[in-house]
Amino acid sequence: MKIIAAIAWRNIWRNPARSGVLIAAIVAGLWAGISVSSLSNGLIVQRFNNLIEQDLTHLQIHHPHYLAEREPWMVVLNADSIFLFLENDERVRSFAGRVLSDGIIQSPVTSTGVQINGIDIQREPLTTNFHLNLSEGEYLDSNLPNPVIIGERLAQKLQMEIGNRVVLMFQDTGNDLASAAFQIAGLFNTSSRVYDERNVFVRAEHLNDLISADAIVHEIAVILHDAADADSLTAQINHTFDEVKAETWYELSPELRYMSDFGNSVTFYVMVVIMVALAFGILNTMLMAIFERMRELGMMIAIGMSKARVFMLIMLESVMLTLTAAVGGMLLAWLSVRYMQRNGVDLTVFGGDSLLEFGFDPLIFPFILAADYAAVTLLVICTAILASIYPSIKALRLNPGDVIRE
Amino acid sequence: MAIVQTKNLSKVYNPDTVPVHALRDVSISIEKGEFTSIVGPSGSGKTTLLNMLGGLDKPSSGSVWVNGKEITSMKESDLIDFRLYNIGFVFQHYNLIPVFTAHENVSFIMLLQNRSKKEIKERADELLEEVGLGDRKNARPVEMSGGQQQRVAVARALASEPKFILADEPTANLDSTSAMNLLDIMSRMNREQNVTFVFSTHDQRVIDRARRVITMVDGAIHKDEYQNVEETKTG
Ligand SMILES: Nc1ncnc2c1ncn2[C@@H]1O[C@H](COP(=O)(O)OP(=O)(O)OP(=O)(O)O)[C@@H](O)[C@H]1O
Ligand SMILES: [Mg+2]
Repeated sequence: MKIIAAIAWRNIWRNPARSGVLIAAIVAGLWAGISVSSLSNGLIVQRFNNLIEQDLTHLQIHHPHYLAEREPWMVVLNADSIFLFLENDERVRSFAGRVLSDGIIQSPVTSTGVQINGIDIQREPLTTNFHLNLSEGEYLDSNLPNPVIIGERLAQKLQMEIGNRVVLMFQDTGNDLASAAFQIAGLFNTSSRVYDERNVFVRAEHLNDLISADAIVHEIAVILHDAADADSLTAQINHTFDEVKAETWYELSPELRYMSDFGNSVTFYVMVVIMVALAFGILNTMLMAIFERMRELGMMIAIGMSKARVFMLIMLESVMLTLTAAVGGMLLAWLSVRYMQRNGVDLTVFGGDSLLEFGFDPLIFPFILAADYAAVTLLVICTAILASIYPSIKALRLNPGDVIRE
Repeated sequence: MAIVQTKNLSKVYNPDTVPVHALRDVSISIEKGEFTSIVGPSGSGKTTLLNMLGGLDKPSSGSVWVNGKEITSMKESDLIDFRLYNIGFVFQHYNLIPVFTAHENVSFIMLLQNRSKKEIKERADELLEEVGLGDRKNARPVEMSGGQQQRVAVARALASEPKFILADEPTANLDSTSAMNLLDIMSRMNREQNVTFVFSTHDQRVIDRARRVITMVDGAIHKDEYQNVEETKTG
């Protein structure tokens, strides 16, 4: 076995130019593949974290029909006992109740439909990092009488500035139309323009007072220590409190669901394409190597080297060659991923503006797990083995009597 | 008992298109310790016969027996294993593994036989010494002359301790000094260690060194005779 490995290894270097070309191709392929998929993963992870941490959280609790019908009276029943439950569950990092309403924001210039988010100014900043998006002015703890925070882009559209008054119109829990004046305390700016134009934030108690005499919440957002607990906790809440419906981010956000599924397959498909290309390179190189050495292989079979060992020899040759290159490719990829992780990759040059439109940060930090490197190594070995089967069979079909003759 | 024997061996190439009768009803028997040369014009079937004796090719009819065992009906994988332990080969070209040194080439066959490391090393050293290459152990084939390469091939063939050694035109690519030198080594092994050799050749000086000369014409045995050989001493 060791001797076969020794022949295989030395055979690789008999034609350094040919092996070198294949090695260079594999190095380049792996480097490009890993870099591209780590960037695509980075994009997705960033977007994922943005959405989860900024607003969505890991799981949310609503009235069972609230998300479909969004009626103001569809509030979370028994919110206090749910709060107590969440308080005592150690998987929960933090949670916050929200009072929500679909309404219209009006300035003297124009009016537009928005979601009015009534947030708990004590709990919300512990649960999400939305407050970090404040770009100008004050947060909702402002001393202004009825503070509201709106997106910069919405402010532009309404031609409003900090300190100006706007009117919010909405329905109360009795389905009557209500409206109130609010004063712009601050402006925010997230990476999603659509989000910025569609959302305004007020204090939960202000909105609560305007739409109901009772203390209500429409949504409880829960952030966990570990996202992986989302499924089990959600199931437990649904089991314990049957008048509400808890859902994970995966159920709540079609966008995230799609991205999470898509993200996993991007790496896969990029790698498959690269591997197919490599397979042909390996096949070609191994076939050339074998045709060139027919007599030598015939001689080895003639003097008594078993076909199993011949097969092994060719497999090892191909696997060793490919692995050498794979190690190089991954080292290079690892270095460039590290570099990009430090400095980020600015996609503005490639139309990063349109990424911004969809809520993607144009400064991407690649993301890759150690397990991904392991998976790529495995994939490369499998490719090398598959690509060598045909050349090996060629070698096994050799008839030593024919080959030895001249 | 004969070490290798053929019974009514025939070989027809391309039986369905343009049949070539490479061997016609060849029955020979070679005893242990013989030093036999197979001669004959080009195309007379020397290589074909040697390939049959070595189990490298299947006859069209007839059989080959090695040490009392019929090899013609063996499964291919069994035959490869049989060759490893029973038959030594020296070819005209491409004898050696180019990426291996002389020592590694000789060791290789013993490694295939799963012998112990210590035995392999000692035996390879010893054999290279015997073929006069004690100082070229670490040379690769490209760094050696044709004669030196053939001597490594002989050492390798001896290393596996076969029942007999087949050599198809081992000297054809060598100058006459190297050819005689190789023959000296082969005949010394034959005399001193009773190693059985069967070799083919065109070279009259090589033929003169054989004790038995089998002459082939057109695929059949034309003559089979023993001759007296004047032993030359080698250093
Ligand atoms: N694979 C083959 N297919 C068809 N004919 C073959 C094949 N191998 C050998 N022959 C023919 O069989 C005959 C015997 O060939 P062989 O090689 O045994 O002769 P030889 O005595 O070794 O000749 P040489 O002295 O030139 O080496 C020749 O006519 C040759 O052309
Ligand atoms: Mg011949």
